[in-house]
Amino acid sequence: MNLVALTECLTSASCLVTQTTSGLIIGMLLFLVAAGLTLIFGVLKVVNFTHGSFYMLGAYLALTVNGLTNSYFLAVLAAAIGVALVALVFERFFMSKVYGSNVLMQLLVCYAFILIMDDAVKIIWGPEFKSMGMAAAFQKPPLFIAGGIVPVFYLFLIIVTLIISVVLWLIITRTRFGTVVRAAAVNPSMVSALGINTGLVFSGVFMLGGMLAGLAGGLAAPVRSLTAGMGFSILIESFIVTVIGGMGSIAGALLGSIMIGLVRSFGSIGFPLFVEGLMFLLMAIILILKPSGLLGKEG
Amino acid sequence: MARKRVDLDRRTVLKGAAAGAAATIFAPNIVAAQSKVIRIGMPTILSGRVAQLGTSSRNAIQMEVEKINAAGGLAGRQIEMVIRDSKGQPQEAARVSRELVNSDGCEILLDAEASSGSFAVQEVAKDLGVLVMHTNSETSSLTADPKIRIPLAFRSCRQGIHDAVVSGAYAAEIAKAKKINRWGTCSPDYAYGRDNTQLFVEYLKHFYPQAEVTMEAWPKLFQPDYTEVITRVLQSKPQALYSALWGGDLTSWVDQANIYALFSQMEVFAINMADYTVLTAVKNLPKGIHSATRYIKTYPNTKANAEWGDAYRARFKEYPTNWSWENWVGIHFIAEASKKANSADGKKIAEAMRGLKIDCPFGADGTVTMRADDQTVIGYAIGWGTTISGEPYVPEVTGAKWDTILQLEAEWKKRNNYT
Amino acid sequence: MLTARPNLARDILIAAVALALLLLLPYVWPNKMINDLVIRVSAFALFATSLNLLVGYTGMVSFGHGMFFGFGAYAFGLSMQRLGVSIPTAFLITVLSSALLGLVVGAISIRLKDIYFSFITLAFQMLLYSTVIAWVPLTGGDQGLMGGIPRPPFLGVDLSIEAHRYAFAVTVMVAGLLILRQIVESPFGYTLRMIRDNTERASFLGINVFRAKLTAFVIAGVFGAIGGMVMALFVSGAYPEFVNWTMSGEGIFMIMLGGLSTFIGPAAGALILSVLNDVITRGTEHHGLFLGAVILLFALGLRKGVTDFIADWLRLNREAGSRGGN
Repeated sequence: MNLVALTECLTSASCLVTQTTSGLIIGMLLFLVAAGLTLIFGVLKVVNFTHGSFYMLGAYLALTVNGLTNSYFLAVLAAAIGVALVALVFERFFMSKVYGSNVLMQLLVCYAFILIMDDAVKIIWGPEFKSMGMAAAFQKPPLFIAGGIVPVFYLFLIIVTLIISVVLWLIITRTRFGTVVRAAAVNPSMVSALGINTGLVFSGVFMLGGMLAGLAGGLAAPVRSLTAGMGFSILIESFIVTVIGGMGSIAGALLGSIMIGLVRSFGSIGFPLFVEGLMFLLMAIILILKPSGLLGKEG
Repeated sequence: MARKRVDLDRRTVLKGAAAGAAATIFAPNIVAAQSKVIRIGMPTILSGRVAQLGTSSRNAIQMEVEKINAAGGLAGRQIEMVIRDSKGQPQEAARVSRELVNSDGCEILLDAEASSGSFAVQEVAKDLGVLVMHTNSETSSLTADPKIRIPLAFRSCRQGIHDAVVSGAYAAEIAKAKKINRWGTCSPDYAYGRDNTQLFVEYLKHFYPQAEVTMEAWPKLFQPDYTEVITRVLQSKPQALYSALWGGDLTSWVDQANIYALFSQMEVFAINMADYTVLTAVKNLPKGIHSATRYIKTYPNTKANAEWGDAYRARFKEYPTNWSWENWVGIHFIAEASKKANSADGKKIAEAMRGLKIDCPFGADGTVTMRADDQTVIGYAIGWGTTISGEPYVPEVTGAKWDTILQLEAEWKKRNNYT
Repeated sequence: MLTARPNLARDILIAAVALALLLLLPYVWPNKMINDLVIRVSAFALFATSLNLLVGYTGMVSFGHGMFFGFGAYAFGLSMQRLGVSIPTAFLITVLSSALLGLVVGAISIRLKDIYFSFITLAFQMLLYSTVIAWVPLTGGDQGLMGGIPRPPFLGVDLSIEAHRYAFAVTVMVAGLLILRQIVESPFGYTLRMIRDNTERASFLGINVFRAKLTAFVIAGVFGAIGGMVMALFVSGAYPEFVNWTMSGEGIFMIMLGGLSTFIGPAAGALILSVLNDVITRGTEHHGLFLGAVILLFALGLRKGVTDFIADWLRLNREAGSRGGN
């Protein structure tokens, strides 16, 4: 514990700005993964434990396409589309078979998939870690904003994430697909009574969720080392985020991501050896006070 | 033909040419014990994030066992390796090791586990009374602490305390020349990272008392995002930063620190940087990072070392790692001691190994010695240099002085009541 | 219904026969690998069966049961290493301290329903895990408890001898399962089933649901911790992996593979998962691929645990038989 350092940082403008921005950066990348997770839970009431593996797959696909085309843009695109397809296959042929059963059966299917994907990645891309490298466009000195340091690449990530959030929000609130999705989240049998194919809606949501995870993996690939099992820690953190924000609430996921980002950035100053513990403590406290999460609807 | 079987069965079993091919795969232990084959069990990590530790250890062992077998094996008995994955979990390492001895008939253990697994294997070896060679665990206490040390356990790899003395001495030289007094550290928060960093600071101050540590950051092992750690370093503006991050964590950290232009703002000492896996993985490798040698073809700058590195690379289509040479040392010590004792018996090999000196491409003077009193290897090549972004990656290496290392190690042992 | 009333004499007989068979096993089949397997399965059987008291009998899906397994291993190991007490005393300390842990965590967590209960138990487990990792002077951090756990002889039992260790582990396991069996077949056990099937009805009938759930949570915690203790004795140490969430995950897989509607299902699942793990790691380094495929086969093919499957099959056969008789 180092409360002196924490107080010092909280009273220094430059430290405050830098750590807040770093919290935001951590939070934004987390949000992309968590948004898909919470979307799938909100509609399908399924906790998708394979979400971390989707993220990993996105990063690896980006690595390969980047290597072939030398284009970061194409790499990210391939990651999003490729993972969306994998998510579709996974949902249609495996996950949809256990929608009716209890949560433990779904957990089992997901776990099997995590094991298989980790090994598949190891077989296809090899056991050693990989690094994708930064696109030339972002190899620029960082910007100084209000005394804080912001790398150009992270500024780009924040903007992209914000655009994606807005698009996601528009899809959910302004399109027919979004209306059906929202209706299906509340009452799936009503939706199917209206002649809408709920199976198709579920597949669509799962694909969208998977796409977001793949996108996050592709976007983050230049600043991550790629290894089999890399989805694991991101899975845990995005879980904390969705639980804190409220399972099923996308706005909650955004709030939760930023909170976790800030806990990380300031926690690493005040409690450098217990940052992980702090996140779980926050999760436990919020669950005790409001089990459905900050912005979740009471179940 | 023997190699083909290995691949077909997807079993990590290596065979000597003279071994009865069909019999040994399914053989109960009795057959193995009576035949001319001697089995050596090798628990290691072949899956998960540090699978490379296992695969690169296995590669080196595969190469060397073939040579040793061609030269007659252990006292006339051909070596057969039985290699198993512990998934990096200590309790699995314990289980696998017990199984290797108890039901696979292994008479010697070559422990290629990371440090936490090595302590579990040590417990098993103590329990079952078999010879064990730790090839990858650098934690000093494993052999230095008399409470943990056992007579049948040896270590064939670098040791934390040696590494720290060398690093402290090198960093102090630079600090003296450039008047670097304010230091920061950024190391993974687990036993290796903590011990390594604490000892480094101790010896940095020993050689350069003006140095003081003004900030410490402790990211978690396998943390994906180092943003908060990097901004903290930049905030407190140390003149130099020391890091014990390694492998994939180090690559992520370098990639992320790069976009903050961290490397242009301070001297960076990353002890595990000069390993080919990291050097080749990082796409935009910054120039001038100080690093200790892990495995590098150019140091020691001898024909034997370069040839071995090339042979490894030609065969496995990848560079050897730090772990590869450490396993080389382990298996050759067993072979040489067996030759000296003219026996394949674990206790006799152990007896012959204490104080044994062997020729070695990775020795500082072409040899390494298994020190008798704590059964750990000394005299291996170690030094520091700075990186460039392509081959040979670390062009100039300042080699360490072993007499300094040994003298300071002795004092360290006394302070810790290890004598 | 034959099992409507607890049948103590029959259970004791079954337990005695099982214990006798297990104790004879090393003489009939002297194979150290099998001995080691039985010891590990004993630890996991206690762990999985105690978890099923919550999941299968009470309908409380805990994602944090590994907390007790790990806590048991550390509490026992630390008592032996630091306090230098005898094994029975350390056993008692482990039981009491894990009961206390169960009481505190349970009292907070039980108020939450469904998936939220699952998540808060997970959060508590990870808090304990983070503490174990961070509190290096006490726990050894990521290295675990090193230097071995002393095993001084007590009452003529010397656990440093392999045969004694084996006998001790199977005895503790059989005794533990016998006690758990009596609990689930007692009126209290049927109260738990009623809470699982219809909580409102249970509380309407005057059952203190909170107290019943808390009692179940504490009992499960204690037996989970005893499982951890057996494991600590076997590996002569305690590792953070025992407290990590993967441990809870394995417990759940054991239940699912073995079957959660029969009493012996989780123990069978412990055996299946351990054997699968051992066989697959021996045969291939791509064990994830194989284990994953086998689990998929279970989940999508069998759609229930092995013992559930057998029980259903037996019932169908019996029904078919009686129909044929009529």
